[in-house]
Amino acid sequence: MVLLAISLNHPAHFFNWGFISISIPNLIMIGIIFVLFFLALLLPFPTHDKPKGK
Amino acid sequence: MSKERNVDLAKWSGPKRPYDLVKEFVIAFLVVGLLVGAISAIFSSPDEPAVTLQQWANQAPADFVATTAGELAGTTISAAYGPPYNNAAEGLKLGPLKIQKWAGVTIPVNPAVDFVATPLKFSKDPSVPAALAQWNGASSDQQLKWATDYSTALGKAGDYTKVTASDAYGPVPTMATGLLALAQSDVLDGLLTTTVTPYPSDFTKPMLFLADGTYFDDLGAKQHLHGDQWGMMNETGSYPGQSWLWLFSLWYQVEPFKSSENADIQIFALLMLLNLGFIFMPKIPFINRLPRLIPFHRLIWRRYYKENNL
Repeated sequence: MVLLAISLNHPAHFFNWGFISISIPNLIMIGIIFVLFFLALLLPFPTHDKPKGK
Repeated sequence: MSKERNVDLAKWSGPKRPYDLVKEFVIAFLVVGLLVGAISAIFSSPDEPAVTLQQWANQAPADFVATTAGELAGTTISAAYGPPYNNAAEGLKLGPLKIQKWAGVTIPVNPAVDFVATPLKFSKDPSVPAALAQWNGASSDQQLKWATDYSTALGKAGDYTKVTASDAYGPVPTMATGLLALAQSDVLDGLLTTTVTPYPSDFTKPMLFLADGTYFDDLGAKQHLHGDQWGMMNETGSYPGQSWLWLFSLWYQVEPFKSSENADIQIFALLMLLNLGFIFMPKIPFINRLPRLIPFHRLIWRRYYKENNL
């Protein structure tokens, strides 16, 4: 399993814009967070046929 | 106020639907568990070897000797820090609030004694005991003069091997090079981690000593771990770091925090203030009207609004 692992123990690349400096791995994670957020927002939530009560 | 209380206490008369919280928890736990296991197997985890005093002494001996002289002169970060290590300064302040001074010296550290003089008792160098005796027998003014003069000479020469021997430096060169030999032989790491307990579990002293030199500082800068490099958000290597700390990290990049000696406590206070803003958001004019201007919640609960024609 260790041999199969992809090592990330090497220097990261950085996105620099003015005083902002974000590592590419962080940028990828932030992108994934946004994608998951919008998927959770837009994908239909499992529902029951009819609401009960009232 | 009474109207709000009534709303809170009133029995819900709107539509209801069954919801299996346990089922959702189990599914979420299994999915997240499988994802964590799979990603850990594929990418492993950060594996940055710990920086040792021996490594520092071997790879940057000039910096090690200069830092040792600085410890004796009382000019290093830890020597001049103040509480919780010593009384050399007042520590972090928030305006008139001297918070670290009030907390007092809870982890006493005297760099000249703890990092240099005490470990040197274990030196095998035959010239060290005499140097130590000369140092311990001198007045504090004399000690300060020797160490400051040697530090100045090191600063001008750039390397301890280029500094011409002189009585003006007293025993300081012998002590500094004696400590260098002790570190290079891998003895100093053990000596500084076992001063409190026999087990090497307290790394306060070697960490402070390391942080006083430029070697460790440069290693951090290469990995983008400095505060002014958004380091709070970064991890070693190419692993993603703590991107959720962006709001803390942001303030270290801008003035007046960037150049402030009390940035840590100032930014902490600012974030606490912003948190109060979150807590009292329903009471803040304009902010509490934002959901009406930006009806994002209607997108989240769109089914409810649609079913009830709201």
